[in-house]
This record gives sequence, C-alpha cells and structure tokens, in this order.
Amino acid sequence: MPMNYKGRTIIAAVCITAVFAGLGVRLAFLHLDPAEKTLARIERGRHLEEERPAPRGKIMDRSGNILAVDIVGRHLCVDPKFMLAHGDIHEACDAISSVLSMDRSEVWEKLNQPARQYVRVKKYMHDRTLEPLKKMKLKGVIFEETSMRNYPKGALGAHVIGFSNREGVGGAGMELQVNSYLQGTTGLRVSQKDGRRREIYSRRTVDIQPQPGADVYLTIDQQVQHFAEKALDELVAEFQPQGAWAIVQNVRTGEILAMASWPTYNPNRYSNAPDEWMRNRAVRWGYEPGSVMKAMIIASALDAGVVGPRDMFDCENGVWMYGGKALHDSHGEGLLSVADILKKSSNIGAAKIALCMGDQKVYRSLKNFGFGSRTGIDLPGEEAGILWPVSNWSKISITRLAMGHEINVTALQMLSALSAIANNGIRMQPHIIQKIVDADGEIMMETLPVELGRPIRPDTAKEMSRLLARVTQPGGTGTKAAVRGYSVAGKTGTAQKVNLEDGGYYGRKYVASFAGFLPVENPAISIIVVADDPQGKYYGGTVCAPAFQSIADQTVRYLRISPQGFPTEFISNIDVN
Amino acid sequence: MKKKLRKKSRKAEVRIPFPNMLAVFLVCVTVLGLSYVWFSARCNSLGTEITKLESTYRAACRAADIEQERWANMLAPANFERALKHHKLAMTLPGERQIVRVRRGSNGEILRLAYRR
Repeated sequence: MPMNYKGRTIIAAVCITAVFAGLGVRLAFLHLDPAEKTLARIERGRHLEEERPAPRGKIMDRSGNILAVDIVGRHLCVDPKFMLAHGDIHEACDAISSVLSMDRSEVWEKLNQPARQYVRVKKYMHDRTLEPLKKMKLKGVIFEETSMRNYPKGALGAHVIGFSNREGVGGAGMELQVNSYLQGTTGLRVSQKDGRRREIYSRRTVDIQPQPGADVYLTIDQQVQHFAEKALDELVAEFQPQGAWAIVQNVRTGEILAMASWPTYNPNRYSNAPDEWMRNRAVRWGYEPGSVMKAMIIASALDAGVVGPRDMFDCENGVWMYGGKALHDSHGEGLLSVADILKKSSNIGAAKIALCMGDQKVYRSLKNFGFGSRTGIDLPGEEAGILWPVSNWSKISITRLAMGHEINVTALQMLSALSAIANNGIRMQPHIIQKIVDADGEIMMETLPVELGRPIRPDTAKEMSRLLARVTQPGGTGTKAAVRGYSVAGKTGTAQKVNLEDGGYYGRKYVASFAGFLPVENPAISIIVVADDPQGKYYGGTVCAPAFQSIADQTVRYLRISPQGFPTEFISNIDVN
Repeated sequence: MKKKLRKKSRKAEVRIPFPNMLAVFLVCVTVLGLSYVWFSARCNSLGTEITKLESTYRAACRAADIEQERWANMLAPANFERALKHHKLAMTLPGERQIVRVRRGSNGEILRLAYRR
C-alpha cells in the first residue's frame, strides 16, 4: 500500500531532525567538551607558521651596475594523479617537453606516476621561460615559487663575484667573502588560515619582517673588466695558453678596477664548470715571474745607493759562469748601463746588480715589496707565494732571484709591487670592496686606502718610472705595450715553467707576463697580464704586451685619464677631424 | 459600570512597568553586539585588504627585481656590443688625436683649450 503524503512528511521530518540533532550533538561535544586530540587536530589544521626568507643582498660594481641579484624563480611541478583525473597528460607532456626543450620520454617518465600527487619536473627556472606554459593553463601543473641567485652579466667578473649555491650560501669569490653581509635575516609569521587555506589576518600573532641582506659595492668597473676579459680572449685565441689572467689597479688607492682570469665560467651555471675554471688565477696561482722581478731588484739597488742608473756592467756577451752554473741572456750584450740592463732585460746584468746588494739586502727589499706574504686583498683563497729565507739560499740563489726565478709570486703581488714604484714608492693595500650598504642605506663598511709600507724613496720611484718607460720605447723589450699618446712604463717577463711533478723546469713551457703603469708623468693605473704556457711564441713582450696595450688604451680613454695625468674634469671631448 | 471596569483594567495593562534599566541594558547589549559584529567584519575586510596589498607589494618587488635584472643584463658590455653590431652601429672610442681636452682652473677660467702631443 503506497504511503500517503502525511507518512512521507513524517519520515522526512524525522530524518531532517535526526541529521540536525546529530550535528547539534557533535557541535555540543566539540564546543563543550572537546577532546584534546580533536583540539590539537583542529589547531594543526588552522595553524600557519611560515619562515619568510630574506633576499640576499646585491653585488654591484663601482657605478652601481648590478652584478648579482636575487630574483624570483619557479620549480615546475606536476600532480600526476589530478592530471590523470581532470586533465590531459599527453598534452601536458608535449607542452612541457617543447617549452623546456626536454626529452619527451624524460618528461613522460615523471608524469606517468598515477599514484603520486607531487613530482618536480625541473627546478630553478626563470618566470619568462615558463610564460608559455602558464598561458596554456594545463590542469595539474604547478609553478612553485622559489628564490634564485642571478648574475645578469653572465661570465663578466665571474672569478671576483663567485657564486652562491641553491641554499643561498656563498660558494666562491665575493659571494663567499662577504656571505655574512649578503645574507639577510629570515622573517617569521605565525597566524591561522581559513578553510580555503588563506591567512586570517586578524589571527596573525607573530610577524617578524625579513631583513634583506646588505648590498656590496665593488671597486671593479664593469667596462674596464670587459676590456680586460676581451683582451684575454684575444690573447687566448692567438696563443692558446693553458691560462691567462689580468688585473687593473688604481695605483693611488690600491683599488682593483678589473680582475679577469681565463678559463672562465658562467656563475649562473656554476655546477657545469670544472673546478679548475673557477680558480681565480690572479690571486690563487703562484708562478716564477721572470724578468719583471728585475724592476724590483734594480729599484732596491738604486734606493740603497748601491748602483746608479749610469753605472756600467759587463754582460759577458750573453753567457756568464757563476757558482759553477751558466747564466744566459737571450741576446748577448757587452757593457750595459743599469738603465739599459732594465731596457734590454739582461739576466747577467741584473744578477750582478743583485750581487752588489748582497743576500740580506735583496731579501729585505723583496720582503718590503710584499713578496712571500699575502697582500690581504678582500678575496678568499689568496696565495702567499714563496720567498725562501736567506738561510735556505744556495750560492747562486741571489743571481736567480734577480731574474725572477727561485721565487713564487701571484700576479696581484707583482702588480702591487709595481704600483708602489708608480705611487712614489708607497705600497697600497689592494682592495676590491668599496663599501657595504644595508637595506636602509646605512653604510656598514667602507674601505679606505691603506698604506702597507714604503719599499723605496719617492725620488727612486721617479727614477725607476723613467727607466721603466724606456722598456716600451724603441729598442726595449716591451714596445708592443706602448699606448699612442701616453708614456707607458713597464717590464716584460718570460720564465720557464716549474715542473711540479718531476721537479726542475719544463724545457719548452713558459709563463709570459707584462706589468706596467701609465701615464708615467702622473701614474693613474697599473696593469698586469700573465699567460701560462702560450703556444708558438712565449716572450712576455710578444704575448702579453699587446693585451696590456689593448686594456690600457681603452681604459685610459674610458676613465678619461689624460696623458699628463692631470685631473680629469674635462668640459667636453670635441672631434677636431 | 461594566464599561468603567473595562477602561480601568485596560489602563492597568498599559501601566505594567517595563524596567528602564533593563531596556537600557538591552539596548546597550544590542548596540555593543552590533558594533562588535560591524567592527569584526570591518577588521576582517581590512585584514583581507592588507594581505592582498602585502601580496601585491611582494609581487611588485619581485617584478622590480626581474626588471632590474633584465636591465642589468641589457647593459652588460658584451650585450651592448652585440646590440651595436646587430644594428650595424660602428662605434669606437675616439683616437688620441681626435680629442680636444678642455680644463677649467680652480677660479673658473679655462686653462687649456686643446691638448696636442
């Protein structure tokens, strides 16, 4: 018998009442006497506690050009379970593989995991790379936000800037050196969220703002750095050395304007680069400098009054036996003045000058020029080089030191010593950090020029500058370093390379170098270029002097350094042609 | 007489005193309740607005960082050279003989009009 209307109404009413009664009872239980377990579960569900990462500070060059910056990136993730239920997994696979230029089978392997709800397809990508995928609005594709370090200039200054790893910790270069300044303080937010997982602002109990890291300004100039790197590229293309490096320094303040090293790498993809590429050879590679050392030996001898520029020495026509060993000159010369010994780079002449000084004086003068100890530059991993104490010297050591053997130096030490000659005999502390500024614009640290010592007197320095200027003039070994319109002082260096495996020297491997400064009248910048094992030609004057010339020529004009070195407040540059 | 009585009782009904204090209390409670609800709703909407603005600010900061990075990338000397080459703009630094250097003295007068080596 069919149920009548009244009966159905009663049943419906009973059901509704039962449902509401049940809900009411549950509500009463929850509100009046909730179990601790239940309360904890509710609290857990509503609790929102998030660490708020602080952006890492920027690294900038001396003009404020950004060299390293934190930007927002994305991890591309998928929810294969959701994708299978609501989307088109094949379409997603095609789209992802084409946009990210990934192998389709690789993407498919990641997507075809029906039981999983979270799979990372590719990490750390630019927003703009993922733009086409975002527009497709594929179901089950998640763009997870993350922060990533970016180096907008690519490989420019890579060895100075270094890199920071995925965890935001500096791994090399400046990123490592000032990691504590660059790293900000993580913030914290404790709050509650609603059913839609949105934060309920009124329930926010803790809100500590993240403190961004401080910005670091370097003394590097991106344009000068580019000149140096380009010159090295040209050198490498022509002579295929195993490595090449160059430094440009302000002789008055010790500021490093450029520091380039080859082989180089792109810090945006640092994980792909072999360790050897990441080595900043300018401060982490010791070598025997060869004849460049003669500049320091002769400067010390002049300073000590042991010799004068016009004193004559017999250069034995290119072969001289001393201490049972033969010492050779590349071009046999007879009588040469001290000035010409430097100009023609005579080993025998330099050895005789050193002998006039004696072991102790030579050792002390080299120490005063900073050899055998770190310059203290604000870069990690600087080598100290090797200068043995006199007690370790053999009879012929002094003659070999005079020509830049039996001593191990870094390019920075050598440049620092040469800059001392350019700077009236005052050796300045080389530095690469200009200042560190916090997020509020307050200067936390500023590097001021620091004098490290005075290895020679000002008048000796002037005399030495004059003598070194002859090296780049006709008849000298460094004519290819001459810059039109400017007088350049410098010294070439060619040294046999030390064989670290078997001892002794390689027969046909050399380290070529050229170090100099300009303008001689009022020196502004000093530059050193070093090439390790160049092929074909190996003289410093042939391999490195052209690179020096290229860097110097462009830098003096870019920095508006006049030939007389007077203050560079030019009103205008007018083309007279 | 009957009429009179009815009138009297009606008057008596009207005169049942409603406690003023209670009335004031109820009104206050109602006002407070409504105010609470209104303030709560206002706070919630302001909170929502603040969180929205916070996320807008965050997004703006991110966008600014990305733009800064793009700009820095464009100004990289190598990219600059590439762009010049692409547009076939041959730009070189002037030669020493092409430069006239003009210098102003400490009291403003021009000391040297041209430099020629």
